[in-house]
Amino acid sequence: MLLEGFATAAQPEYLLYALLGVTLGTAVGVLPGIGPAMTVALLLPLTYTLEPTAALIIFAGIYYGGMYGGSTTSILLNTPGESASIVTALEGNKMAKAGRGAAALATAAIGSFVAGTIATVLLTLLAPAIADIAVQLGPADYVALMVVAFTTVAALLGSSPVRGLASLGLGLFIGLVGTDTLSGQQRFTLGVATLADGIDVVVVAVGVFAVGEALYVASRLRHGPIEVIPIGGRWMTREFWARSWKPWLRGTFIGFPIGTVPAGGADVSTFLSYAAEKKLAKRPEEFGKGAIEGVAGPEAANNAAAAGVLVPLLTLGLPTTATAAVIVAAFQSYGIQPGPLLFTNNGPMVWALIASLYIGNVMLLVLNLPLVKIWVKVLQIPRPYLYAGILLFAALGTYAVNFVVDDLIVLLIIGVIGFFMRRHGYPVAPLVVGLILGPMAEEQVRRTLQISEGDLSALVTSPFAAVAYSILVVLLVVAVVLRLRRKKSEVMV
Amino acid sequence: MIAAKIEEYAFGGLVASIGVFTLIDAGTIAARDDNAVGPRAFPYAVGILLVATGIAAIIATARGKLGQAEEGEDVDENVRTDWVTVGKLVAVLIAHLVLIDLIGWPVAAALLFFGAAWSLGAIWWKALPIAVVLALLVQVVFAYGLGLSLPAGIFEGVPFLDG
Repeated sequence: MLLEGFATAAQPEYLLYALLGVTLGTAVGVLPGIGPAMTVALLLPLTYTLEPTAALIIFAGIYYGGMYGGSTTSILLNTPGESASIVTALEGNKMAKAGRGAAALATAAIGSFVAGTIATVLLTLLAPAIADIAVQLGPADYVALMVVAFTTVAALLGSSPVRGLASLGLGLFIGLVGTDTLSGQQRFTLGVATLADGIDVVVVAVGVFAVGEALYVASRLRHGPIEVIPIGGRWMTREFWARSWKPWLRGTFIGFPIGTVPAGGADVSTFLSYAAEKKLAKRPEEFGKGAIEGVAGPEAANNAAAAGVLVPLLTLGLPTTATAAVIVAAFQSYGIQPGPLLFTNNGPMVWALIASLYIGNVMLLVLNLPLVKIWVKVLQIPRPYLYAGILLFAALGTYAVNFVVDDLIVLLIIGVIGFFMRRHGYPVAPLVVGLILGPMAEEQVRRTLQISEGDLSALVTSPFAAVAYSILVVLLVVAVVLRLRRKKSEVMV
Repeated sequence: MIAAKIEEYAFGGLVASIGVFTLIDAGTIAARDDNAVGPRAFPYAVGILLVATGIAAIIATARGKLGQAEEGEDVDENVRTDWVTVGKLVAVLIAHLVLIDLIGWPVAAALLFFGAAWSLGAIWWKALPIAVVLALLVQVVFAYGLGLSLPAGIFEGVPFLDG
């Protein structure tokens, strides 16, 4: 099956689409202010004219490419204070400043390639098997999976569970607006005709990501020249390989499982990998001053997690990150529902997509290592033009959905909400996940209760659902205990 | 600090009031009785979630636990909020959406790019030609490359620009 996928994906036309995707992905990964979620959302209306396989190959390329590009920025951009949010920046930035930027970039790119490829192999092996099991899941089991995804994305990640849940609630609310699919009733449309069809995912995603981000950055724009650290040092020495290969492999096997379970995608895995490398390091005193292991491990973990996220996405239709949520929306816009039947119903397309991930990884290695100087130029785009361009394409992409101005009004309102969310520590990812998963969750809840004739216990009596809820309770208890402990230690200090 | 707190209260209040609206408006959704779970149940749950989290955010704020503003490569944490620039950008976006139907997409888009770049500190005579070229380029690419025609407005009937 995979071989047939390669036969499709290796056609010149599809190779070009993959190249387009990974190039765009690297560019948006390099540039601050735009990410893969928003780029996929923006391209959605423009790719309606393409066939689904081609469009999805582009989107997958953007998804993988964004992971590679981001590391270049965090290694080379000289912006103090910001680094805590991206683990790579901790050590990578220090290495670059110490004149070892080349080695940092190389370990990030090769580590991403190694992890991305191994993780894609794991995806290839695991996905069909999981899909076989997933076919047997009933609506109550899906409800359980979605509840787990909602809780982990909104409440377990990020600094403020309350704000995460509020963001999720806003997303769920936006998902409610429109005509109810089961009863045909209009909900929360305020009698406005445009709202009867619901608020398009593209408008919401572009609103919170592009407009919200542009307004937020504008409110506190860092003025002055963009300081990019020159790339120094030697690229690959014997010591480089000796110190990098183990962290790459460890990062891969930390990242992939974390990406696979609905536990919040890449960020957690990078922190865990960083902690593991620090503990295992022969020279732990180098951490914080530019230890190559601290770049190699987290970067590998990051990419492995990105591939892992595709497992629940393709086999269960369950997105666990904002970008994955937008990709689910992309599938849906082509009338394809990701889930257990995807491999049976759309086999050739899925295998072509997976094959393109292997090909994309090779392209990305070339794009990000020999051609890294090009991306340094991209990184230096003057910010007024960058954010003006983001706003222009945000407005264009939104307008291109239906060619009505009303959508732009909704875009602006959601953009302003996204601006205030960023100011006050409300994460935006739960909003997008809630928006996409909400309607699916509602449908499954209602199907469960229709079958059980209103008996609420049907939601928890299926063995699978019971196990899922138990695991969730354990996770919540652990999280609360950890939080209390942290508070205690803060008090002691 | 006080201004930040007031804003936090306001946003928490907004979340809670969207929740209240959800709860009230959910009651007006027509539902038949024969169905075990109709179109109202889920909205009620979402409304409760919004009210609860909105109030919890207000309580957290009152206890001094303010939300942490998001970090970013281009964000300078040490400067005050530049409301004037934010206001200009919102105004430019409103102008854009009003002008599309009046004078066409190319001009509205050029104004959007030019206005935004200028608000953010670009030199106007550098931003203007970029804005014009970019808008016309997108118009042509849409009309001929993608087969989607953006309203040409004042350029109606002009070759290449009017798809």
